[in-house]
Amino acid sequence: MAREVNRRTVLKSLTVSALGLGSVVAFGDLISVFALPDGQKVALARAVILADMSLCSGCRICEMVCANLNSMGRNSTSFARLSIEKDYLKGDYQPKLCYQCAEPPCLKACPVDALHVDKKSGTYARVVNEKVCIGCGACVEACGSHFHPSRATFDAERQKSIKCHLCFGDPQCVKSCPLGVLRVERSKKGLLVGYPVIQGD
Amino acid sequence: MTPRGGWVGKILRVDLTTRRITESSTFDYVPKFLGGRGLGAKICWDEVPPEVGAFDPENRLIFATGPLQGTLAPSSGRFMVLGKAPQSGPTESFCRSGVGGHFAPELKWAGYDALVVRGKASKPVYLFISDHKAEILDAASLWGLDTYQTQQMLWKLHGQKTRVMVIGRAGENCSRIACILTDTGDASGQGGFGGVMGSKNLKAIAVRGTGAVAVARPKALMQTTRRIHELFARKPAKGNPYEPEEKGFKYNIWGGGYGRGGLSLLPGELQDLCNDSSSGYSQTPDGCFACPVSCRSRVKGPDITGGVAFCAQSYMYLESMIDEPEKGYSKITWQAAKLSDLLGINAYELMAIIPWLADCFHEKLITEKDTGLPLGEIGSWSFISKLLNNIADRQGFGDLLAEGGQRAAAKLGGKAETLSRMYYPRAGKFGGYREHWVYLGGFPTGYALPQLALMWVLDNRDALVSHSFISMLWGAAFTVGQNALTAVPEKISPVLRPVMKAAYGSEEAAEFLQPDGKSLNWKWAAPVVKRYHEHSLLKDSYVLCDILFPYLFNANSLDHVGDDTLESRIYSAVTGVEMSPNESFQKGEMLCTLERALAVRDGRTRQDDIFHDLYFEKQDAGGRRYRREDLEESKTEYYKLMGWDLEMGKPTLATLQRLGLKDVAEDMVRKGVLRS
Repeated sequence: MAREVNRRTVLKSLTVSALGLGSVVAFGDLISVFALPDGQKVALARAVILADMSLCSGCRICEMVCANLNSMGRNSTSFARLSIEKDYLKGDYQPKLCYQCAEPPCLKACPVDALHVDKKSGTYARVVNEKVCIGCGACVEACGSHFHPSRATFDAERQKSIKCHLCFGDPQCVKSCPLGVLRVERSKKGLLVGYPVIQGD
Repeated sequence: MTPRGGWVGKILRVDLTTRRITESSTFDYVPKFLGGRGLGAKICWDEVPPEVGAFDPENRLIFATGPLQGTLAPSSGRFMVLGKAPQSGPTESFCRSGVGGHFAPELKWAGYDALVVRGKASKPVYLFISDHKAEILDAASLWGLDTYQTQQMLWKLHGQKTRVMVIGRAGENCSRIACILTDTGDASGQGGFGGVMGSKNLKAIAVRGTGAVAVARPKALMQTTRRIHELFARKPAKGNPYEPEEKGFKYNIWGGGYGRGGLSLLPGELQDLCNDSSSGYSQTPDGCFACPVSCRSRVKGPDITGGVAFCAQSYMYLESMIDEPEKGYSKITWQAAKLSDLLGINAYELMAIIPWLADCFHEKLITEKDTGLPLGEIGSWSFISKLLNNIADRQGFGDLLAEGGQRAAAKLGGKAETLSRMYYPRAGKFGGYREHWVYLGGFPTGYALPQLALMWVLDNRDALVSHSFISMLWGAAFTVGQNALTAVPEKISPVLRPVMKAAYGSEEAAEFLQPDGKSLNWKWAAPVVKRYHEHSLLKDSYVLCDILFPYLFNANSLDHVGDDTLESRIYSAVTGVEMSPNESFQKGEMLCTLERALAVRDGRTRQDDIFHDLYFEKQDAGGRRYRREDLEESKTEYYKLMGWDLEMGKPTLATLQRLGLKDVAEDMVRKGVLRS
């Protein structure tokens, strides 16, 4: 997995390897670090979910809790905002979570500003406003060009994009994981995470 | 009341003879028959008459989920495989087999609550089910492959997310002790349904689904789920998945004496390697779908077959520990388990066959020459690999063993048959299953308990597979500083009084012995076993896991009282159908009677509810014994409580009608099984 750190966007930041997870987390000094083409600033996320893959038992409770709560009781991993990629023979379990990217490709790609930064809950997560979403799938495609599987997914029944919104500050998957695989990293200064620090996985 | 959630509504029906694929409505059967085991029993009642043999094309192979599969409900990865079972013997009869893993939710998301296979394909085929569609595909290139290889081939064709139920060579050769495996170690073993699948020329069932299961009350489901998570699992202390973060917290499976991943390795060579992080071997907890416990461990290493294993597989070849005691639980012990998985042999049955062969060899009833097996080296790799391959291929003596231990013993007859009775306690026409006699109370190695005796004689298979009662006994044993093997009835009774009051309605039920300690107290056997059967039927029909439910013993509280309302609460949350615990027990009673009707139709009578003389003759560790007249009296009381005819043990017309089984009653009268 190539994880090239793009120095261009790291402003006086300290890059740390969290828990040996392989994910690179950076704490930025500045809350806004990059601008959309129209000059609008995107604030860094102040919370992100991290996973210690070595502990994962592959039970998929995280996915089911997410779907049950966030997709109106439609229980299925298809409606979860995170996924576990599994190799059942080798037992290699990889929770795939939204990085809440510093330069979110999904947000950049959204043609109608349905994707926005959730300042209200204080997480600054990149979230979809379902009322505005036109279901074009551009965000899914944009994320998917860097990350596999795409962290934003498409709810075909409702014709809307769905993605991790950190449960508005209290991620239920983290609460429910029986093995303590997941945890929330928070920083008031904002977290320089995801793209472009990690350019893909 | 029609369920608002839990069901996707369709049963997939495949006729392999005509290659016709149809659908029927799940609501022809539910909510009345609940799902899983109850659903399968009703389908068998309607479609598998007594004259249809297990290997006949007309037998149905039923894969039945319950309302909870495909949802967040804890341990809902499990489902049931049902049909006429080749392992039941000497009479083939209806049986059930539970299996965990990740197959069940995938089937639901593909749009089907159950799959019913009938007929026989003219050549090897497999079934591919994806999003409301099923295809019968050619399996010529899969036939003969082991269970892992087959799955790898199917993943290449249909993607990694496809879940597969597959048979190995044992199933292909119609062994009566063949299992159906999914992933690396989850298997439907008891019943021998792998052989049924083989008899239909069906190598595998591959499923991929992207749909969802609607839940009626998602918030209520979340609440109950969280409560169950708290009871059974706490996040591990940092970095160690086997240790809970809260000091002293017991995981509550099997009475709290066991933990996460507690089902795999025993001390020895392999565990030492796993504990050495530089060795390249490792052991980690591995979870079935939606289960907070992850009771199984996944074992990996450079020169072993990786995967998960349950108790049946893990402990199948403990003889290897006696063969090379210095190694303890060795790589050979593990590899033996995995070989039985790769060949698709029910490891639980091997736990009877291997010690029985050893007994026969010591008594000089069989020789290395006439069996072609290195019987002098039981415990070695050369013995187990030869044995398993011979069984899977029906080679030589393996052909006889592929019929299962009880049938093989009957064929040999004489003393060899007598010796087999140690492992197959139930006499009569409906035996064929190794019983869990190594458990506490497991006469003749431990103590006799009236409840266990009554459970043994009444069941359609190994009675104690529903672990609830045993888990409770074990829990009490751990509480007083004993364990499953050392527990003494007198010592655990005081702990059990409040627990059994909550679970079975009486404190006195915890008194297993008469006050003088010299004989057994049978007074509470029948009512306890009735509730045990209700609990078991419910758990297998919602479908939840044996190891978690019903939750009767809380290892972490002062009075240790469990909570047997959890299942009905989850059921209500998922389906939106109100279900009080009492209503649910009535359902359990109804389903238990339906299963009895199935057995009775296959010829079962009171005479078949009995175990071999051996169990009346021997004294237990406390100098007590099961007395024939006590057991008979207890049976009478049980039949009375169930509303079954006392002379024959048949459900009466009035009982069937009272339970809403009018069509079953009419059918029985028509067939002359009951008189109107």
